[in-house]
Amino acid sequence: MTLRRLILRRSLEILVIFFLILSGLFFLFHLAPGDPVSRMVDPSMSPEDAELLVSQLGLDQPLWLRYLYYLKNFCTGDFGISFHYGRPVVEVIGERLPNTILLFTTSIILSALAGISWGKLVAWYKGKRVDTVVTITSLVCHTLFLPWIALLFIWVFAYKIGGFPLNGMISPELWSDPASGWFVKALDILHHMLLPLLTLSIIHVGEYLLIMRSSMLETLSEDYILTARAKGLSEKRIRNRHAGPNASLPVVTNVGLSLAFSINGGALTETVFTWPGIGRELIFAVSNNDYPLALASFLFISIVVLVANLVVDVLYAYLDPRIRY
Amino acid sequence: MLKALARKSHTLERFLEGWSLFYENTVGRIGLFLLLFFALMAVCSYIPPLIDPMYHPMTGVDPEVFRSTPPSPTHWLGTDNIGRDLLSQLLTGARIAFLVGITAAFMSIVFGTLIGMIAGYAGKVLDSLLMRFADMIMVMPSLLVVLLLSSLFGQLNIWIIVLLISLFRWPGIARVIRAQTLSLKQRPFIDMARVAGASHLRIVFRHILPNVLPMALLYMTFRVTSAIIVEAALAFLGFGDPNTVSWGMMLQWVWKTGHMFQAPYWLLPPGICISLITLSFYMMGRAMEEVLDPRLRKEEQRI
Repeated sequence: MTLRRLILRRSLEILVIFFLILSGLFFLFHLAPGDPVSRMVDPSMSPEDAELLVSQLGLDQPLWLRYLYYLKNFCTGDFGISFHYGRPVVEVIGERLPNTILLFTTSIILSALAGISWGKLVAWYKGKRVDTVVTITSLVCHTLFLPWIALLFIWVFAYKIGGFPLNGMISPELWSDPASGWFVKALDILHHMLLPLLTLSIIHVGEYLLIMRSSMLETLSEDYILTARAKGLSEKRIRNRHAGPNASLPVVTNVGLSLAFSINGGALTETVFTWPGIGRELIFAVSNNDYPLALASFLFISIVVLVANLVVDVLYAYLDPRIRY
Repeated sequence: MLKALARKSHTLERFLEGWSLFYENTVGRIGLFLLLFFALMAVCSYIPPLIDPMYHPMTGVDPEVFRSTPPSPTHWLGTDNIGRDLLSQLLTGARIAFLVGITAAFMSIVFGTLIGMIAGYAGKVLDSLLMRFADMIMVMPSLLVVLLLSSLFGQLNIWIIVLLISLFRWPGIARVIRAQTLSLKQRPFIDMARVAGASHLRIVFRHILPNVLPMALLYMTFRVTSAIIVEAALAFLGFGDPNTVSWGMMLQWVWKTGHMFQAPYWLLPPGICISLITLSFYMMGRAMEEVLDPRLRKEEQRI
């Protein structure tokens, strides 16, 4: 199977899964106790506006027609009006989504790279003190409670030591100043991103490092490593060129498997650091009973997870040619 | 009679062998001692309210305290902003963590094992249907989906939280159990049972279940950690059961009342406890994994 066919097949599977989630949410929202109309229409709207919205969303129709309306509205990007912002939900999501993707992908990539390269080294020094220390540290990092470590970082780095912003993604006074160029603005975002990034990465690095370590140990006992040694290759070359790439495959698999779990952590990080992302928006919407926004945020988070899954699968197939059977 | 006794002693022997392997493992031993410490905390949580009603974790208020106070002889870990004792809250939190972690994990392994065995044994259409369903649940972030459901069903109590967590955490177990069932199905003893006239139900529950049970138990320890984390995160975000004191709840209070910069004695203990209890279950799980999977044991001897 060529890479292109693999991508095609996985995309189809993902479309089916997404369709199932989309439909499942519809039936949950419309069959749960309570009135679906009051969930989608802001109680503070004027009666005429409310009526217009009801007919626009098809809420006055029987269930099966409402379902078709819902699918149509999803395809045309019409998710209703957010109760809290009084704006179309799709606009709010459009502003938040890039922020989440920026924070989330940076942290996943960084922690996977760090986990792979450190796990490789630690496995090389198995049984030495550095191995014991790093293994135990990673175990502890892996089980740290994320919101707590986020609060701790804010307390230590932003409050006690200073030099880091307490929350948010940008400094408003810097951005309203017309004199500041794009480079200053990018630096400002990076400055705000460091602590959330550190929080999110510290949880993942431990996990990836442990997987890389055990997979590297397994690889090092393979016959082809013995062959490489017999050929007289340098230890560094064996480690980095022969064992490393093969051993990193399980890490890639695990990144894919734990994506849904990672996005939980992403939402918590965004909330504690008030990073204006989609996970924080979902939690905020749920606390305010802003159903249209909550529903749409969840759908878009599912899309992020599914697309990231696809990317990981393709990467895996690219790294391991055996997959393309 | 004698036969039954012999079989029993064989099981006991296998258990003891496994136990000694587990206990020799440093990681497993540390995990076990940590866990015993938390169990002790949970048991002790009944004591403070008996000494004085003001030590009740939820309703007990020290009449002389009007704001959060640091540790003192009357309040060993200090008080929160309305004068409730933090030590007694921390002890009660251990009880809630065990309750949530173990019941949610138990329920999710029951769901996961049943579905995995059925899918693996039945095969064909039922198998692919169940597995696609598992895939769908697997890509949904469990914390966020529970949050979304809570917006539909209103305030959650602790048992609904437990049920929701277990409903969204079974697919991983189901996949593993399904794979094991598939390989067991090829073994001669299953064919023999079928020839002997055993019904499908009997084959699944008498012949397959005992063989997949160790794996299910192993996964249970890992599920305990994730259940504790999800419950704590829900409570931290303000969606916990308002009638219970959990560690996540304590963190929410310190965060929401704006005490996180002034009251380290309040911020540190609950977070340390959540992290350590998940660490202890995780360590136990890893040690159990080595006992159950001889390949991992060999790895230790190899180098």
